[in-house]
Amino acid sequence: MLSRQYLWPITLLHLCLGTIASPQEIFDEKLSLNTLQDGKVASKFTFTTLLNGASPRDPRTLHKEDDSQHYTLFPLALGQILREYGVTELHLTLNAGKWNYDRWGYPEEKGVGTGAELWAWMGDGANTTIDERWKGLRNSLSGLFCASIASLDELRTTSPSQSFAPEGALPDWDLPHQLRHASLPSEHVCTENLTPFLKLLPCKSLSGIAALLNPHKLFDADWHGMGVHVLWRGDEGVEVQLTFQTVSDPLRITSRKSQDWSLQSLFDRTVDRTCPVAETSQIFVTLPNRGLYSISPEPSVSKNGLAIYDVKSVNKPLNVELKWPEAFNYPLSYSSGTTPFSVKRTLTGSSQALGRLSVAITNHRTEAISVLYLETMPWLLQFFLHTLEARIDGVLAHDIISDLTYIPSVPHSRPTTFQALLHLPPKKTVQIKMDVTKAFLRYTEHPPDAQRGWDLPPAILVPVERSQNDSSSFTPLGGPVYTSTLLVDLATPDFSMPYNVIIFTCTLIAGLFGTVFNILTRKWVVVRLAAQP
Amino acid sequence: MALPPPPSLPSTLRDPKSLFFQQDGIRRAIIASYWALIILALPLWWYTTSIERLSLPSTRIQQLAHNHLELPIKICLETREGTLVEQVKSQLLAGKSQDPLRWKGLAPEVIGSADCGKYAESGAYIVKFKSGTPMSINDRELHIPSSSEYTSALANTLTSLIAPYSASSDPDNRVVQYSPHYRLAFSLLNEDAAAGDAVLGWNIQAAIRKYINPITQRLSALHNFTVESQVQFHAPLAFLPRQLDDVYGIEPADLTVFVNSAEWTLSSSSSNDPVLHFILFIPSSQRRPLRILLNDGKSRDSTAFLLPQWGGIVIHNPPTPTDAALPSQALHIVFSSFANQLSSLLGIPVLPNNIDQHSDAGVSDWQLDALTRRRTLENAEGSRDTLLSIVKLVNQIENMPVGPDVRDDVEGALSAFHTMSESASSSLAQAFAYSAQSFVLASRAFFSPGMLALLYFPAEHTYAVYSPLFASALIPLLVAALREYLAWKRERKEKLEREREKRE
Repeated sequence: MLSRQYLWPITLLHLCLGTIASPQEIFDEKLSLNTLQDGKVASKFTFTTLLNGASPRDPRTLHKEDDSQHYTLFPLALGQILREYGVTELHLTLNAGKWNYDRWGYPEEKGVGTGAELWAWMGDGANTTIDERWKGLRNSLSGLFCASIASLDELRTTSPSQSFAPEGALPDWDLPHQLRHASLPSEHVCTENLTPFLKLLPCKSLSGIAALLNPHKLFDADWHGMGVHVLWRGDEGVEVQLTFQTVSDPLRITSRKSQDWSLQSLFDRTVDRTCPVAETSQIFVTLPNRGLYSISPEPSVSKNGLAIYDVKSVNKPLNVELKWPEAFNYPLSYSSGTTPFSVKRTLTGSSQALGRLSVAITNHRTEAISVLYLETMPWLLQFFLHTLEARIDGVLAHDIISDLTYIPSVPHSRPTTFQALLHLPPKKTVQIKMDVTKAFLRYTEHPPDAQRGWDLPPAILVPVERSQNDSSSFTPLGGPVYTSTLLVDLATPDFSMPYNVIIFTCTLIAGLFGTVFNILTRKWVVVRLAAQP
Repeated sequence: MALPPPPSLPSTLRDPKSLFFQQDGIRRAIIASYWALIILALPLWWYTTSIERLSLPSTRIQQLAHNHLELPIKICLETREGTLVEQVKSQLLAGKSQDPLRWKGLAPEVIGSADCGKYAESGAYIVKFKSGTPMSINDRELHIPSSSEYTSALANTLTSLIAPYSASSDPDNRVVQYSPHYRLAFSLLNEDAAAGDAVLGWNIQAAIRKYINPITQRLSALHNFTVESQVQFHAPLAFLPRQLDDVYGIEPADLTVFVNSAEWTLSSSSSNDPVLHFILFIPSSQRRPLRILLNDGKSRDSTAFLLPQWGGIVIHNPPTPTDAALPSQALHIVFSSFANQLSSLLGIPVLPNNIDQHSDAGVSDWQLDALTRRRTLENAEGSRDTLLSIVKLVNQIENMPVGPDVRDDVEGALSAFHTMSESASSSLAQAFAYSAQSFVLASRAFFSPGMLALLYFPAEHTYAVYSPLFASALIPLLVAALREYLAWKRERKEKLEREREKRE
């Protein structure tokens, strides 16, 4: 504490410099609404706060006292966590439901894997290890969002850096940056996660576009998910993007066969007031490209098939309404223009010891595409890699799988990381199969609650092309596609009657012990019967 | 007549005793080996099921209960009048016996000398008599006019400077518990910014430099501080203010529920340090001016209030139209209140009214010393109580493990406590540093998560699991051993009798 005296001048100097280079904060909010082929409506809220001129904390300074944090719009609770653990980039998504790529197209917010997914890039070089900081980060985020992110432990943490390239810039510290990724498919998003999420917004859910975030309607939607993305935009500063995405079904809430929707029908609210600190506040509506429709009120700008409402200038309350005069007919077939391939993943086999993982990937394009296939499987399911095979129309095809990376799982601790490059021929379906073995758990590893099986995280497929200059790395051509999650049923003992189990065991032991002991120590006597008269 | 045995039966079966495994010796060896195995396995069982309980220095900790810290306070009166020195001395002693709680742990020592300068180095307080100047303090000096009316009040003045913490000085326990590190969280809360006329920003860094840093720097030997700030644009109240003629009022009962922690995000979970909150609350433009009501329903002049051990709140009613950023004049009013609130939360004593302060240091040496003495005594007491509780708890709960980390912390706390007692007479700063160390280590040992491990695994549970297993195996073993012992005794008796008969 004595050395504090000498630290003060330095701290003061820092403070002075801090005032001169005081970061400016900019907040933008945006809502985009998109009518889907099957009559559903995809809506995505994006709240972006840019902390101008800020940069992530250098991990070499983590053991020192941090600079004071003074924020106007940037969420302090999140800023503290980011600085405490020296996180350069962070992505957290909490989703419920399965995103139907074939019907709904590629989502605006790409992290749509079922359950919780967290990945972060952190610079090495602190006097605590990356894994300790990752653990602290998980626990803090768990507390902040009231979610079981803390259970994204070593059993689920992998580092597939090729599929999760940083979306922002990484600071030039001459330090290696490392990725940590984990997903928990059994975690579902609900109101207890939305409440802390709303508290991170400058205008909470009380004014501006955020006022539409009505939990009753959001969690009633067919698909819903929230996301927190923090990245460093190089010269611009640190950006926090809070997103909420839903797919609601207007056909479900009306008795008529009508796909008409309005903000009132989708969210049960309208935009009544503007958020006073939002730099921009806009609603984008993608206009249908076919048929007759009417949109009200008149949009501020309308271009490229988009109707744009500037919430600050339009009359309030604002209730955007899209109407069709004709009844809705479900299309007979769906065409996906935004996803080049579709994936089905299943786990077959009825035994509790062995099974088979099978993935069917259909290329919709007329040209061949390359896809990076990634499985981050907890050790609950272990792969027999020698049984890996790829077939097209039932015929073995050897040249489909290449560039295989495999980090085997370690029972009770590390998950498998399996990554392979797949070459999908045009207009064909590739079947990939692999035998798997199911784990036998220790009794303490079983969850204490009612059991329905174990959720396994989705596989991730990223369309890529090989880099020009470095043949071992890939350049992504599009965002990742998440497969559905799997459910595996492992051998589970009957936990319902522990004392009965003890008693049964004791009876067995007593029987065995008694028999052996009796035979060993029995005294044989000849009994002479009395002679018969 | 007995039937002759069938000729096919082997001779051994006619007399099983001649079978080798039916010999008494073999059977007894089998039973003995079972027992030998059990006895040999006992240490292993004991080792695998026992709980690690390292011994704590209980007797040395028990001795602490009688160890009361006394901090000497040297006061030098720059005078040749021996009577005055004796007078002040006896008055201080009388005050100490009248109010022992206020003087607890403090041992004032009054000396008179023509040249007090030589005592200044050892941290003594010097009282100088100067005619014609008002009563004032400078560093560790007290300047007092040399007229008789002042000298008679000298003892009272010294009391309020040296032992300012009387029972009435902190009636509602405002002062926070000692922690080596505090977070100061400043929040600008707009009740409803969307209603217009909101304060959207403040020059927080300049304000903290000007008003808060002088205090935190002065106290840097006692605490470290982390400062953070945020602005919120929607911070609704949990109650409706009462509407009066031209103002809105908060009733005294509502002040306790003013902080709406469900809606306001005030602190995060990133550290365990205690947080002191300072909230600037801007009422919605429809509810201005917002004032605090007194019990009789009239509005109070001040709009600042303090929540004991939690933080301070200032309600600011900006004029309409409102500047987007808080003007410097308003900032001055608000942060002067925050600085006052911080001082009283940290326990900085208030100077007596009739004393002028020479330097602009803000917190004088007299105040800082009084606070350091208070914290030293508090920490020493806290550390002693915690150590005694640990020993009591460990003795009470026999299943509680005591690992090496707990033992090391307890030892560390104890040795820091002893070093503190030794250094108390020489250096106050050192005594404080050791008291803080002792307190922190003792608290860490007390809250060590390792001590909870087997708390919920009572002995009854163990018996319930063990008894079915052991009973089913042990009872046949016991019975067999008993039977063999009786058989052996009977045989021996018969043998002896047979031998006696033979001899006879």
